[in-house]
Amino acid sequence: MTTPLLEIEDLHARVADKEIIKGFNLTINEGEVHAIMGPNGAGKSTLSNVICGKPGYEITSGSIRFKGKDLTKMSAEDRAREGIFLCMQYPVEIPGVAVTTFLKHSINAVRKYHNLPELDTMEFVKMVREEGKKLGIDNEMIKRPVNVGFSGGEKKRLETLQMNILKPSFAILDEADSGLDVDALKVVAEGMNALRDGKRSMLIITHYQRLLEYVVPDFVHVYADGHIVKSGDKTLAAEIEKDGYAEYTRER
Amino acid sequence: MGGLVQKVKLFGEYIPWFQAMRDKGAIAFDELGLPTPKTEAWKYTKLRDLNTDDLVIEPSNFLAEMRVAAEEACGCHHEDGGCGCHHHHGEGCCCGHHHEEGECHCHEEGHVCECQQKLHVPFEAYVIHFEKGKMIPPFPDFPRGVEVMNLMEAVLTEDAKEYLGKVVDIKLHPFAALNNAYMEEGIYLCVHKNVKVDKPIVLINHTKSGEENIFFNIRNLIVLEQGAEAEFVEWYNYTGAVKSRYFANVVNEIVLGKNAKLSHYKLQDEAFKANHIALSVVKQKSDSNYHNCCLQRGANIGRNEVKVLLNDENASAEVNAAYIMSGWATLDTTTDILHLSPRTYSSQLVKGVVGGEAKGVFQGKIHIAPDAVQTEGNQLHRALLLTDTAEIDVKPELEIFADDVKCSHGAASGELDENQLFYMQSRGIGREEAKQILIDAYLNEALDKVKNPEIRAWLSDYAHAPQE
Ligand SMILES: Nc1ncnc2c1ncn2[C@@H]1O[C@H](COP(=O)(O)OP(=O)(O)O)[C@@H](O)[C@H]1O
Ligand SMILES: [Mg+2]
Repeated sequence: MTTPLLEIEDLHARVADKEIIKGFNLTINEGEVHAIMGPNGAGKSTLSNVICGKPGYEITSGSIRFKGKDLTKMSAEDRAREGIFLCMQYPVEIPGVAVTTFLKHSINAVRKYHNLPELDTMEFVKMVREEGKKLGIDNEMIKRPVNVGFSGGEKKRLETLQMNILKPSFAILDEADSGLDVDALKVVAEGMNALRDGKRSMLIITHYQRLLEYVVPDFVHVYADGHIVKSGDKTLAAEIEKDGYAEYTRER
Repeated sequence: MGGLVQKVKLFGEYIPWFQAMRDKGAIAFDELGLPTPKTEAWKYTKLRDLNTDDLVIEPSNFLAEMRVAAEEACGCHHEDGGCGCHHHHGEGCCCGHHHEEGECHCHEEGHVCECQQKLHVPFEAYVIHFEKGKMIPPFPDFPRGVEVMNLMEAVLTEDAKEYLGKVVDIKLHPFAALNNAYMEEGIYLCVHKNVKVDKPIVLINHTKSGEENIFFNIRNLIVLEQGAEAEFVEWYNYTGAVKSRYFANVVNEIVLGKNAKLSHYKLQDEAFKANHIALSVVKQKSDSNYHNCCLQRGANIGRNEVKVLLNDENASAEVNAAYIMSGWATLDTTTDILHLSPRTYSSQLVKGVVGGEAKGVFQGKIHIAPDAVQTEGNQLHRALLLTDTAEIDVKPELEIFADDVKCSHGAASGELDENQLFYMQSRGIGREEAKQILIDAYLNEALDKVKNPEIRAWLSDYAHAPQE
């Protein structure tokens, strides 16, 4: 049996003294696409932040292993370098730092971790242009400061661009579809599908089924009150779209 | 004997009008004394760390030159006369160490003299070299209409007589008074009517390790005649592992004629135990523009004070600055912009990054005289505090005596944004590197005001160079 890519066991985590994740279990193997659906405030973003090592979250018990390694002991940057990518629900604005500068630092930091030489400027520019083109990101946009003054759609496209450039083995997409019109949604979904090569895995976090029509998951989980309350295949997503989350949150 | 007041023999004591200025400087300093914590203009920058007791003023180069004028051969201890560095006769080796005979390696084949290595200016420029406050010939060849001399030459020819000592009011500035008292080294730069200098003029003062406790004064007089345009760069550079302690006291007097345009840039990169106090006073005629940006990153106490007198209509000034520091340093940026005529304009953007137990000081004053209507003055200071022990003291002052003016000022300080740091870390960028990127971006906002892209890149490189 091969080691699962991600293995979360009986995870409990708190933020600001409030327990948000309560007994969460999930195993994701190579190549699998999982979707987590849950009502607002269920703790979906908290889960993705905990996996990625955002400061301010305290794991009180349980474990997270990635490629067999204990993630909880790794810095946020090392988790990213190991191949975890978080496509954020609210991408952060960084005034004064151009997208290109940012991307270059990012790629080279990851390459350095894997003992690869830095990309030379020509290679880098070519790659960003090619990947950007597929997502409708032009040269003008990558000269602007990161996310500053970007529309919701532009922000999500930039997240997708970063993901496609870094080619993570595991991507968490936190509400990648929020704030997108149908056209932008299709572009972002294509970007996500481009990474599905049977080896890379994904965790799609979403409130609605909409995105799952374009990026079809292998497994769907319903997440409420800090843990998974039901798992199934893609038909579960359709069910939730029809009936809502009421059934799962009633117990609260 | 040591300290700020000492008896030294200077060149030109026989020139009455000039010597009178020195004497007045000495008297004014005697009356003013060193600023104390009660001195309003020095409220936040405490001078107790100035440690002036054992400071030494080195003998005059001009007098030494007269003595050795007859000598042809190099007086220093390089036997074959192959000494290629610019230091003066009789001085020690340029690498700053005092070698026993034959021990100096700096002129062996393939070895580039340290001072030349470090004095490389990464853009096309007319470069004037100073070493520990003393001008080192030769001058570069300047184009027609650009007159550059050392200050004493301009005193002898009386070219300096019209403005020297008349731009700065020594009664208001104790260190300028002191600078008057020792006036000798510095340059006189005059750009003639309508002449546009094709390259920046760079004054590098180079100080090296081993030169402890020197006190030097530099006095520059810069005159741009009507319609003239120039870029002037000051670079205070220090090289060496030993943290030497010295005191640089600089005064620039700047006169801008009608419609003249001066871009004035400065890099203060002194040793971390050195002290650097500088004052630039600028007098502007109508339609002239003064464009200034100073980056301070060295010194124990570093102060860059800029005073601009917008004397005539439609004169404008932009005074920007950036500073980055750690350790126990105090870096002070003080501005005083005087709008003395209608329709004069000024803007200031000052950004600082303070770490360690360091202290940043910003004192910014905008004065608008009673008849200076339709004037505009804007000022913004922002600082980033990297540690809990870093400190920032800010004193903005608006003195508005006229109606119908637009004036604004703002000051804010904060810490690095955790969300921005995490965003970068989640992309594989190490936390320290991420901090550096944010710091660079922060300072670049001020440095981006530099018009010349090469100078902007040069300053920007120094703004994020790792600090010792
Ligand atoms: N930094 C924080 N401080 C306090 N409470 C937080 C913080 N982050 C999240 N929460 C709380 O945790 C709960 C889950 O939030 P979140 O993970 O964003 O939910 P979701 O993404 O599922 O909508 C919410 O009640 C939210 O208010
Ligand atoms: Mg969320």
